[in-house]
Amino acid sequence: MPGPTIDLTVYENEEALLAGLRRRDPDACACLIKRFAPLVYAQAIRLLGDADEAEGVLQQTFIKACDKLDTYEGRSGLGSWLYRIATNEALMHLRQRSPRVGLDDLAETIQEDEMPQRLTPWTFDPTTAALNSELRAILEQALAALPATLRVVFVLRDIQGLSTEETAVALGLSESAVKVRLHRARLRLREMLAAYMQEH
Amino acid sequence: MTCEELIAHLSSYLDHEMDAALVAEVQEHIARCRNCRVVLDTTQRLIVLVHDEGRRVIPASQRSALFERLQQAFLNRPQTLENSNLRTAEDSAV
Ligand SMILES: [Zn+2]
Repeated sequence: MPGPTIDLTVYENEEALLAGLRRRDPDACACLIKRFAPLVYAQAIRLLGDADEAEGVLQQTFIKACDKLDTYEGRSGLGSWLYRIATNEALMHLRQRSPRVGLDDLAETIQEDEMPQRLTPWTFDPTTAALNSELRAILEQALAALPATLRVVFVLRDIQGLSTEETAVALGLSESAVKVRLHRARLRLREMLAAYMQEH
Repeated sequence: MTCEELIAHLSSYLDHEMDAALVAEVQEHIARCRNCRVVLDTTQRLIVLVHDEGRRVIPASQRSALFERLQQAFLNRPQTLENSNLRTAEDSAV
């Protein structure tokens, strides 16, 4: 069965695509999907650490986006808008997954067993080398192995590049809680990646 | 500054959220402590590495099946907009 056939050239840029969406042009939503679904899916899988749940979030994000276009004010790009919807959807999933362990229910100090153990320098230099597929898989596993409370903060701050304040608002946390969690997530991920780095 | 204190302040230092006096203490510590120098350097590398990874999207090989299911879900979605418009119209008619 052939995949969806959408002519991307119908919309030359984001403005034209948006105009198409507002006209309820049937191809416009399909085009929106084609252009932004890979980004949204990647974000969802990072936040959730689960491919099936991420696919559900992907679908809900686009259905919501296309049905709520009238709430899009065009101040941020379409990509940022979709990112925000996807992030909220993913956070809702995380809360449903463990309703008793709220996203704000976690010790806020560095535990003793979180002190760095692996103290070998890395030869891998991300400023000059790209990740190979093996290292990428290691990173994805390490992210998925983090507790959701730490992972979501790390994804929003260090991967998506939100500020401390934006992350705090998105998660309903204090800024100091965001800082502590980011720090703990970094230490844990560093440790997990270091295990691989010192063997290569 | 002890190693424990340095590790506790590591992120504030990397994120430039630290006042100058403490920055000086951190720099003095890492100048003489190899272990903390390694932790600082590798944490910095981790941050650069994941930042670049954030721009990566799913591989093309996985895309087409995913798109197809998304397209199907989208086409089969409940018509919430029409429903809600209808409901609003009914509400205001009452
Ligand atoms: Zn030290």
